[in-house]
Amino acid sequence: MTFTEILTNMWDIFIKYYIGAGMLWSGIGYTLLLSAITVFFGTILGSLMAIGKRSRFKPLVFVITAFVEVLRGTPALLQLYVAYFIIPMILKVPGLSPFTSVAIAMSLNSAAYVSEIIRSGIQAVDKGQTEAARALGLTGRTAMLKIVLPQAVRNILPALGNEFITVIKETALASTFFVGDLMTTYKVINGFTYQTIPILFDLAIFYFVLTFSLSKLLGLLERRMKKRA
Amino acid sequence: MLEVKNIYKNFGSLKVLRGVSTHVDKGEVISIIGVSGSGKSTLLRCMNLLEQPTFGEVWIEGRLMTPVDPYLHKEIIESSDTFASLVSSGMSPSDAVQKIKKEDLLKEKHSREGAAYRKLMKEFFEKNRIDVNEGRRKMSMVFQQFNLFNNKSVLENITLAPLETAKYNHAKNMKEIRESVTERAMSLLKRIGLEDKAHAYPSTLSGGQKQRIAIIRSLAMNPDVMLFDEPTSALDPEMIGEVLDLMKELADAGMTMVIVTHEMGFAREVSDRVLFVDEGYIKEEGTPDQIFRDPKNPRLQDFLSKVL
Repeated sequence: MTFTEILTNMWDIFIKYYIGAGMLWSGIGYTLLLSAITVFFGTILGSLMAIGKRSRFKPLVFVITAFVEVLRGTPALLQLYVAYFIIPMILKVPGLSPFTSVAIAMSLNSAAYVSEIIRSGIQAVDKGQTEAARALGLTGRTAMLKIVLPQAVRNILPALGNEFITVIKETALASTFFVGDLMTTYKVINGFTYQTIPILFDLAIFYFVLTFSLSKLLGLLERRMKKRA
Repeated sequence: MLEVKNIYKNFGSLKVLRGVSTHVDKGEVISIIGVSGSGKSTLLRCMNLLEQPTFGEVWIEGRLMTPVDPYLHKEIIESSDTFASLVSSGMSPSDAVQKIKKEDLLKEKHSREGAAYRKLMKEFFEKNRIDVNEGRRKMSMVFQQFNLFNNKSVLENITLAPLETAKYNHAKNMKEIRESVTERAMSLLKRIGLEDKAHAYPSTLSGGQKQRIAIIRSLAMNPDVMLFDEPTSALDPEMIGEVLDLMKELADAGMTMVIVTHEMGFAREVSDRVLFVDEGYIKEEGTPDQIFRDPKNPRLQDFLSKVL
């Protein structure tokens, strides 16, 4: 296949399948939806885990640490498989859609990373800030809520933005279970056309445009936040 | 007013303080001097429990901030099982107390020393204790690195702790309190000539301005005693004067102060008493004249010959 042929095929596939059949919009839709769900629940769960990790109740700290280490130490694809087979058994819903179990697995996986982001964001706040608050007779809780967390958020938000971008790329793993995301369209179109490289190149462009524009947008927000601080 | 009794502080195997006792009376200005690593900052931080002493007690206005240190109370030692077994083995009571103190024989778990001991410990604690946060409000601290709250304006830095304290005390008239606290903060700012910075953020201020604001932030709590932890050590030379002037003003106004400092001239000028801390002990203590003109301890003589 020559380079021109690849380009022509990329264009044809783009027009016929991605625009004509609307696969671009549904693919991006599922990818973004899955990413948004993952980041949303990942952030909530991750925050809870970060708080729990500061608890004085050691067994809780141990459970959370173990959870985080296991999720960070095993492949995400393996976790998706496990979730795909196990979650319907646990929830006793045999007909659970692949999308739901994938979303749950990815949220848990993301929570592990987010909890570390939040933990290091809190740790990065100068210790003197807490000391000054405590020395003025404020409780540990007030010091955390009024002084440390507002400053930690400034460290955390940019890192959370990066996590969102990482998650967008990782959703490609979900195509293993045919959930309809962008990567799934490769399998569909490949089934019709028996083409490989032109579809993959099309997809590379879509993913790149998504992540690149998102990272530029986040950079803009970050700069604006810094200006206000 | 403020009293530390036999304070020990270990960081792991490192013994930073090895039995320090002193008291601060109302209106007194005390300077703590000594080489870096001598334990002087640690002593100051033990006073308001930013560091928890390993042994010893801290008292503020006759109330106990730390847990009870049994070694400081003869009657508690005498109630212990260890004491009973020493006496029953033929030792005289006073020797037994001495031996227990000297060799640190009381068991760390209170329950292992018997019910009478446990009861005395608890009674003594309940009778004298003060909530740590409440105690700290009576002795606010000024830090070497200023530690102004970066996410708060200058005014909020000053008003935060008084307002939160009012909330802790379930004050009903928060609106009036907010007004009076803000008014007081503004008048304090005016006193140091920085009222135009009320709505600025700490990152826009010079070191000298930050430290003076940190001082009035402490002052806004109406503390009984102010602790200063090397307040000028992080400042550019040209800004040291403005901070020392403000501290001198406070001292002249009768504020009780404990100052860890390397500014010997200042210590000599404003202090009522100077403590020389070295190797975890107070090696010498006296009026500025005694300490600077006529030092007795060879380590102090050596130290002064290097810094003066």
